[in-house]
Amino acid sequence: MAANEKLIQELHSKYVAVLQNMFELLDNSLSGHTGGSMSMLDIIIALYFHHLKLNPPDYDWPERDRVVLSKAHCCEAIYSVLVEIGYVSRESLKGYNEYRETFQGHADRWATPGMDYSGGSLGQGLSFANGLAMAEKLKTEMNPPVSEIPQFLPRLKTKHNPAYRTFCILGDGECNEGQVWEAAMFANKYKLDNLIAIVDYNKFSLDGPTEEIMPMAPFAEKWAAFGWWVKEINGHDMAEIINTLELANNLYGDGKPKCIIAHTVKGHGIPSWEETHVHLARGVGVEVGVAEGRKIYG
Amino acid sequence: MGKYNQYVQIGEPEAPNAGFDPAMIEIAEKNEKVLLVLEDMGGPGLKWFTENAPNRIIECGVAEANAAVICGALASEGFIPVVHSFDFALLARAYNQIRQSILVDRFNVKLVGRGGAWGDTGISHNYVETLGFMRCLPNLIILSVADAVEAKKAFTAMMQYVGPVLIRQEAGPVPPRIYTEDYPFQLGKAYFIKEGRDATIIATGLMVGIAVKAEEILEKEGLDVGILDISTLKPLDEEAIIKASVETGAIVTAENGITIGGLGEGVAAVLCENAPCSMVLFGVQDEFSQSGRDSDDRGKLAMHFALTPEDLAVSVREAIAKKK
Repeated sequence: MAANEKLIQELHSKYVAVLQNMFELLDNSLSGHTGGSMSMLDIIIALYFHHLKLNPPDYDWPERDRVVLSKAHCCEAIYSVLVEIGYVSRESLKGYNEYRETFQGHADRWATPGMDYSGGSLGQGLSFANGLAMAEKLKTEMNPPVSEIPQFLPRLKTKHNPAYRTFCILGDGECNEGQVWEAAMFANKYKLDNLIAIVDYNKFSLDGPTEEIMPMAPFAEKWAAFGWWVKEINGHDMAEIINTLELANNLYGDGKPKCIIAHTVKGHGIPSWEETHVHLARGVGVEVGVAEGRKIYG
Repeated sequence: MGKYNQYVQIGEPEAPNAGFDPAMIEIAEKNEKVLLVLEDMGGPGLKWFTENAPNRIIECGVAEANAAVICGALASEGFIPVVHSFDFALLARAYNQIRQSILVDRFNVKLVGRGGAWGDTGISHNYVETLGFMRCLPNLIILSVADAVEAKKAFTAMMQYVGPVLIRQEAGPVPPRIYTEDYPFQLGKAYFIKEGRDATIIATGLMVGIAVKAEEILEKEGLDVGILDISTLKPLDEEAIIKASVETGAIVTAENGITIGGLGEGVAAVLCENAPCSMVLFGVQDEFSQSGRDSDDRGKLAMHFALTPEDLAVSVREAIAKKK
């Protein structure tokens, strides 16, 4: 479904609700990778509350779309969503980063219902997404569905829709890792058109601007040269995000993995976090940002 | 049966690796979930896969980090990926990936690693340090095989077990066949090839064959030396190790790698806590390997590292002499 005013409104209210969860989580932990969580939040909202095929509260539904959060330090954004869609109890917001709690410091699939990938060591997520996408291709080949599911991906180009799609969310700093490009080659080789990578291009990593730390320009051209379909978007324009996800989806069957480069702002929406391009906020930095956020979003 | 225990019959030289292919093919024929993941370095049963199930070969090229994580993801979806390469590429290059994307989640991935002191491939490929950096990883079972019979049985057991396993594949002196076809291999269990009274050699992989020869030398001197085959390097069969210590009071561990973090230190830790005794750690000292085309156990590399049966016999005498 393409973007329309009503949908945008609905997603905005989800955005605010998820943000409240995140503030509560940060109130308790006073520590979080807030800059990268805020920069990708619009994308996460578009995915979880509109685009993904999910079946809450069955977080282990075999046909669910898989989400690999390769930039797994920004798990607090997803945690806040998982509470909102009912995979995880609201109580868990109080235990972020704590011993034996559902919300571990980095994404952990055994600790958190609804996480498909245990991450934290950057550069591995796209490879994991490759494996999931490859598994989908193999499963569909070994056990082809007897009939097409009409309401999901009615395509003409292929005999069958994918049983599930795999989405991978990468950071731009993370793309310094050589393994990302090993994975990019693999996805092209095996024509993983059921794989959609989204780069949260917020232009800053821990030590400073990503272009100073390790220049990656021309970035979109790199992905294209590796055989990917590429589209650059404004990662804070909900209509553009939704329409691009749909566009990528409708290209299924073209044999190309998809890369959406989302230009974003680190710490987006919270003035003090935007200003400092905050990577990891702790203590007062969290308190100030959360107070600003509550003033803006109620 | 003679001096050896049941299921042991010392036979003609035969490369242990000969056991991997038939085991892999037998399982792959029955279970379509078994995948062969390649790192441009071949793999067990490759010919069979090429001819019978090419769609179950996933060639990742020379990109081991990517391959390791893909294995984890495939296992998370119910497949059983088997991936093979030299230790330096499969394990050392992709160490962090194996830890984070296979072991942390206990994914059912099977690693076949080539290493050890011997080989004509030189210092880059002859990994003597593998056990030191792999034994410390939680959730991983490590297997090492003494002959082709054990290789086939261990490989089969590895595939039947649900969880991550590393099986070692060594080049070097071709050992004699040690076991009979009906040898009942068990994951996590060491096997006494022979019990002794004066000392026990606790050996793994290719060193088991060398231990058999060392025992023959010592037997002629009137010494009764036992041999314990450690086919599961992790977790160690503590019961068998303690039994060997209690019954003989002198232990020599034998491995074709560095003893730091290897079998020697593993056995020493078990015995320190449970049944201390006279001990000698036999293996490579703190040194990298190099090229050597040894196909028998008295070749140049074996002489260089002092890994011959005669050297092992010297260590056994030393352990016996140290006994109180």
